[in-house]
Amino acid sequence: MPYLGSLWILLSVFAACLLLLSNPTYAQQGATIKITGTVKDSLGLGIPGVSLQAKGQSTMGTVTDGDGKFSLNATAKSIIVVSSVGFRQVTFVADPLKLRVDLILHSDDNNLSEVVVTAFGKKERREAMVGSVTSITPSKLKIPSSNLTNAMAGQIAGVVAYQRSGQPGLDNSTFFIRGVTTFGYKQDPLILVDNVELTPTDLARLQVDDIASFSILKDASATALYGARGANGVILVTTKEGVDGNAKVNVRFENSISQSTQNLEIADPITFMKMYNEALTTRNPLAVPRYSQNDIYNREQTLSGAPGSNKYVYPAVNWIDELFKTSTNNQRLNGSVSGGGKIARYYIGTSYNRDNGILKVSPVNNFNNNVKLENYQLRSNVNINVTPTTEVVLRLSGTFDEYNGPITDDGSFSADLYKKALHTSPVLFPAFYPADPSLGIDTHILFGNSSTEGTGNTVGFSNPYADMMKGYKSFSRSRMSAQLELNQDLNFLTKGLTFKGLFNTNRYSYFDLTRQYSPFFYNIASYDRVSNQYSLNWINNQPGQASEYLSFEPGFKDINTFVYMQGVVDYSRQLGSKHNISGTVIATRQQRLYANAIDPATGLSSLQYSLPYRNVGLSGRLGYGYDNRYFAEFNFGYNGSERFAEKNRFGFFPTIGGSWVISNEKFWNGGLKEAVNKLKLRASYGLVGNDAIGAQRFFYLSNVNLNGGNPAYFGQTNGVTRPGVSITNYANDAVTWETSRQTNIGLEISLFKSLNIIAEVYKQHRYNILMERASIPTSMGLESGVSANLGTADSRGIDFSADYSKTFRGGFWMSGRMNFTFSQNKYGQYEQPAYKEPWRILSGQKIGVRWGYIAERLFVDDQEAAASPTQLFGAGASAPKGGDIKYTDVNNDGKITEADQVFIGLPSTPEIVYGAGLSMGFKKIDLSLFFQGVGRTSFFIDPSQVSPFLENRQVLQPFADSHWTEENQDLYAKYPRLGTTSSEISNNLQTSSWWMRDGAFIRLKSVEIGYTFPDKLSKKAFLSNCRIYFNALNPLTWSRFKDWDPELASNGFSYPIQKVYNIGINVNL
Amino acid sequence: MKFNFKLIILLVVISGMALSCKKYLDVTPDNVATIDYAFRNRNEAENYLFTCYSTIQNMGPSNNDAAFTTSGEIYFPNTLTEATLGSRDAEQGFHLIRGVQTTDNPSLNYWDGEQLGQPIFKAIRRCNIFLENIDRPKDLPQFERNRWIAEVKFLKAYYHFYLLRMYGPIPLIKQNLPIDAGTDEVRVKRAPVDEAFAYIVSLLDEATPDLPRTIQDPARSLGRITQNIALSVKAEVLTTQASPFFNGNPDYISFKDKDGLNLFPAAFSAEKWNKAMLACQAAVKSCEESNLSLYRFTSPGNLPTIPPALKTVMDIRQSITENWEKNPEVIWALNPEFGLQSMAMPRLTNAMVQNMGGAPGNFAVPIGMAELFYSKNGVPMAEDAGYDYRGRYAVAAVPAESKYYLKSGYQTIKMHMDREPRFYADLSFDGSCFFGNGQTDPENMLYVQARGGTSLAGPKDNIRVNVSGYWPSKLVNYQSVFGTEVTQTGFRMPLIRLAGLYLLYAETLNEVNGPSADVYTYIDKVRTRAGLKGVKESWASYSTNPGKASSKDGLRAIIQQERRIELCFEGRIGWDLRRWKVMQDVLSKPLQGWNIQDTTPEGYYRQRNLVIPVFGLKDYLWPLKYNDLIVNPNLVQNPYW
Repeated sequence: MPYLGSLWILLSVFAACLLLLSNPTYAQQGATIKITGTVKDSLGLGIPGVSLQAKGQSTMGTVTDGDGKFSLNATAKSIIVVSSVGFRQVTFVADPLKLRVDLILHSDDNNLSEVVVTAFGKKERREAMVGSVTSITPSKLKIPSSNLTNAMAGQIAGVVAYQRSGQPGLDNSTFFIRGVTTFGYKQDPLILVDNVELTPTDLARLQVDDIASFSILKDASATALYGARGANGVILVTTKEGVDGNAKVNVRFENSISQSTQNLEIADPITFMKMYNEALTTRNPLAVPRYSQNDIYNREQTLSGAPGSNKYVYPAVNWIDELFKTSTNNQRLNGSVSGGGKIARYYIGTSYNRDNGILKVSPVNNFNNNVKLENYQLRSNVNINVTPTTEVVLRLSGTFDEYNGPITDDGSFSADLYKKALHTSPVLFPAFYPADPSLGIDTHILFGNSSTEGTGNTVGFSNPYADMMKGYKSFSRSRMSAQLELNQDLNFLTKGLTFKGLFNTNRYSYFDLTRQYSPFFYNIASYDRVSNQYSLNWINNQPGQASEYLSFEPGFKDINTFVYMQGVVDYSRQLGSKHNISGTVIATRQQRLYANAIDPATGLSSLQYSLPYRNVGLSGRLGYGYDNRYFAEFNFGYNGSERFAEKNRFGFFPTIGGSWVISNEKFWNGGLKEAVNKLKLRASYGLVGNDAIGAQRFFYLSNVNLNGGNPAYFGQTNGVTRPGVSITNYANDAVTWETSRQTNIGLEISLFKSLNIIAEVYKQHRYNILMERASIPTSMGLESGVSANLGTADSRGIDFSADYSKTFRGGFWMSGRMNFTFSQNKYGQYEQPAYKEPWRILSGQKIGVRWGYIAERLFVDDQEAAASPTQLFGAGASAPKGGDIKYTDVNNDGKITEADQVFIGLPSTPEIVYGAGLSMGFKKIDLSLFFQGVGRTSFFIDPSQVSPFLENRQVLQPFADSHWTEENQDLYAKYPRLGTTSSEISNNLQTSSWWMRDGAFIRLKSVEIGYTFPDKLSKKAFLSNCRIYFNALNPLTWSRFKDWDPELASNGFSYPIQKVYNIGINVNL
Repeated sequence: MKFNFKLIILLVVISGMALSCKKYLDVTPDNVATIDYAFRNRNEAENYLFTCYSTIQNMGPSNNDAAFTTSGEIYFPNTLTEATLGSRDAEQGFHLIRGVQTTDNPSLNYWDGEQLGQPIFKAIRRCNIFLENIDRPKDLPQFERNRWIAEVKFLKAYYHFYLLRMYGPIPLIKQNLPIDAGTDEVRVKRAPVDEAFAYIVSLLDEATPDLPRTIQDPARSLGRITQNIALSVKAEVLTTQASPFFNGNPDYISFKDKDGLNLFPAAFSAEKWNKAMLACQAAVKSCEESNLSLYRFTSPGNLPTIPPALKTVMDIRQSITENWEKNPEVIWALNPEFGLQSMAMPRLTNAMVQNMGGAPGNFAVPIGMAELFYSKNGVPMAEDAGYDYRGRYAVAAVPAESKYYLKSGYQTIKMHMDREPRFYADLSFDGSCFFGNGQTDPENMLYVQARGGTSLAGPKDNIRVNVSGYWPSKLVNYQSVFGTEVTQTGFRMPLIRLAGLYLLYAETLNEVNGPSADVYTYIDKVRTRAGLKGVKESWASYSTNPGKASSKDGLRAIIQQERRIELCFEGRIGWDLRRWKVMQDVLSKPLQGWNIQDTTPEGYYRQRNLVIPVFGLKDYLWPLKYNDLIVNPNLVQNPYW
């Protein structure tokens, strides 16, 4: 039991520390004057934990309490430096005549703020940093959405993020640090919350109000301590802790109205019928039109509500309207209490979020199956000073999701309902018939349906309304986390030495279930035009096909556990007046266990996946600073992962870095210093690793299923059977890490004390990327691919951020900020078959670029199509005709084959992400705007997902407006010649530049206006502060692509991204 | 010094934590399953034996079988508005006849195991793993070990043969290459076809002695390989080698690999026919000694007395749909049951209309195939002196004496009258009677009404439609019932049955010795069961070309037609047409169907082109996937691709 053993070791470290305690001393010096006052932010809220320090007198200092109040003893005339993480530092002179000082600190993101949280939660002075770390004021991430990841795009230099779905609970943004820098298995960053590795969903649920710091570690120097896990960058979040002072209560309530940023436009039922007929006859002139003139006329009558029309016999249904509302209401409530004294401090945060979907719920059902995602959170961070040199921190948190929504066929929860609505004919059957006493039944809904085209009692279609109403699916997800931290000051051993031990465990559980009835489907049996009476026929009348009672279906269950331990010994000391040395040694280990032990290759649980996932690491840092001008740092990570063969288990990842603060040089003075307050140059170089290189559990072991995969049967009734043996992996003990060699150069400038600029350029070379060998012919008969650390990739890019902040006389202040990220990532070595065609070689191409045909235009006519190079795609395909897409025969061999595919367009992950914001305030009113955009990206409309009539699909209005017809032979129409089956139009369903679109967009991401009530009013209500605000998320978007929200990219039929109008109130007691 | 001492303790403790790392990462227990465990004992080894069989059990005649889908016997439309075979991809084999095969991504790719093809090279590798390791289980008795080795050698031979028939020259995987074999080693070359035939035959010869002649315990082992199977497969292999496509085929003599090695034999060799004949003879002898015989229907007790005309029909139908343990004709069948009965079934009742998905009946037999069947005199319609061949499309009422074949008094064309029993046993069409589907009273049989959308079997929609008007109801068990619910009685489609072996023997005899009594004997055995008179007598009495049966060429044509009729729809003819090198001729005419939307007999019986097949010289062999040629530059593409 090595695991218990290590627990014992950790405990003994705790014990050792307690034993080694020696007497603390608090140095006190005579105070000259006592200054009191408050420190507030620009919104008038007191800032807790602000440090006030007399310059050059280390004993003269204090921090503000929970309300931002302080009381400081200082020598007269001394200079007091007021600073806090995320705020711009100010100074004032201790003046015996002014014993009351009220200060306002302005927030200060992406700039040279004094302290930055870096790897393993270590706080470092910004000035002394040599690595690339971006920290953002958490409040900048506050958007009216309960998903934190959706606030990241454009806010943080170096982060590429985009959102592909707006569905509550499944709307996480995809994000990368400095782009997709590998084509390997794991591309996204390591996420650490209070030092513990968590998932993007855990990050998404974090409450901004609970966050103390949010940092992004980008280069080798900053991430080296994470060794084998840091290559894709690290997101580091710490949660708030209590500060000395009276209990401080913060309550925030928000109510928002959410609606789609943009809805798909669907052609009306009449256009649908006419186009269907056209699609039939344009492919086969002899085809009988599916809808007669009468059919069309009757639907027109229905739509206009003409007298005598009957919408049940001649349905013309707008399924989207039938199923979806235009907007919905969401609520968020968040509260926290914090405070403490000399012995203990506490922070307790709670929140409740409720996100509703946009489904229309009929009162007919007695259960509500609209999408509803409720999230509860509890967080308690308690710091206890056991002795003056020992602090124990206990962090407990729980996050709980409860989801309820309609039943869907796939795992997408409600998104496929949207898809179903778009895949149902608008003229075949109504959503439901009104209760019909003649049937003698009134206990169930009479859903409409039809058998496929003909007569007969088979349910031929899915009725999306019935699918929505028939029942519900729900899931519960929770993560409970407990963390104990011990901070021991070891000054008694040697000055500047501290120890920090941390133990964390968290448990994750998830289950889902469905309850549903089987809907009753009816169609029209007979209709008497004169009396306008119809009778119904029950279609699914066979036993077991329809039921009024609910059935229950248990669903997927997932449980996993996580244990993490960390010990840090830190040494930091100023030697003399100029030398500053520091050193850190960190030991970590973590283990994860999955109850289901699912092998992703087979979808079945397997022994190998049930074994613990473990990492251990020993990392260290050595820093030296000279006179606040020159800084040098050496970092290393020595990490092991259980997935590799013993000889490859441990990797060593060293980095070096240095910085030069030019503005601290003696020659930098006078007017130059006034204009350029700070100028710093830094550079780093080193290696970082990535051990998540494939889904395979142990690369050095073969994965053989001796009990399944290749069965055979014998005997006259096949009664003798054995499951057979299958091999999912061959052993390969040579497999090892993926490594990234990174170079980073940064420049930090501060101008006129109000403009801060950080610019960085970087280069990355990723090597040892695991990839499947392409050189093994099929004749080897291998049952799985053989992989090797063969691939390389190269990245380069720029991160740039600037912010500006100024307070004017008369209480007017403003701040602006912008940031810009450019990252370009290319395949280096990539093993491919030795193609003769140079345009098929992946090396040198951008990661995420698609491969497809070059579409020239549509064929002019059938003759041209017949005379052109053969374009046949797959068995069952029909040869193209006039109005179908004409492709370029790149290799001129007279036929269009895979060899004619080239790389087209730009990567699917944007190469450019940028954002810019402006905030201003005057007295009690504040206003802020934030714009965000992406550039240099392409996406492909999936023609098999949008082509009309395939799988009963409806017609998108843009295609109804512009498609090739025999009358209007537009060679550049939006949609080529129509057809009703995929074999007829298989030519047009290929990936080609025809379907490529520019994915660039810019949007007004958020706008907020707030009002803080005057103190007098607040005091009357016993509040220390009260602010109300109105904000909006995604209100405006500009893009060249108009058919749906461009951020959804090719997922046009998924749940739309939401725009939100929100009103909130924030109260402090 | 005290402080330093404390410091040292602390550092020792911390680094101790780090040093225990090594052990911490050893999470894998010792006995994680690896391939070694597959041969620890008899039970595990038997499981691996089944693994070797696994691939072949997915290779029965069906929509993923090249011979079943591309022989022109069954047409599957590409215009259905819904996929009825489960997915569009499942139809692809049938579409090949339209000339849509590509080298980019070949359909029915058995080389790579893609596009419905089975991964045969993987199967061969498994066989080799078995042969390399089977000496290891200590509790495996020697006789059983020998039998298992023989079975796996047979499988290895058959897997090679399957590839050989499809691709011509193939790399011979006599031994497995190690996983980490070098690039040069893994780039194997295609062996000339005669070398491949020789290797396959040698494996079969090695296997045969250790196999049981027949299965002794059918309840447990039916489906395992026997001597009879091995001998019959050897007969097929050698006949294939002797046949015109592989024996001195002028179109392929210039087919060389990159070293200039000829992959096809340049000259015809009569000796190959002789070897094939001897192999057939051995197989026939062995089968007959094992009491195999042509199947005859014995009416179960619950059926009424079956009139002779219907009995002949049942003799024919049940020769493939009878339970295999009761069918003495089956030499070899695979254990999985034929899964597409519903595709071959016409809609006969209102209940079936109610449940249209139950039997889509999409398998459409082209008119040309229906015309192939003999007249009732056992000679081709066009050759039958007494048959009004020119007037065969004229509409007439069905005479009462045909009532066990056709609905009495029903208006249909003359071509449907006075045909051989196999015509009525194997096909359903407008006006034909159907014995079964729950209606087993011979006097009151269900019959097909297929004219226009209002008729039961006619096209109700563009999904459950038979576009030619002929259903291959040979592939439906008479005990299966399609109604509002479907109760299928399964059957195993034979891979080799005695009738086929007889015809193969007759074919080789004719090639070696020309027309002789032996040839007639073996053809006539098959004809007698089909209710026809002998070859000689039939041609002499009824044919306009009475001497045909006495010449070697004439008899060859007769044997080929006999084989195409007897084994139709069984997934065999596709291979025969290829080895005879006549497929281009057979597929040179459009595949036609009746005008199915029309309700009147006159309107209905008008021919309509379903498709004009595209079958060129290159289509005799499957193309290698383009990618494979690039991955392994030592491979050459098949000619004309």
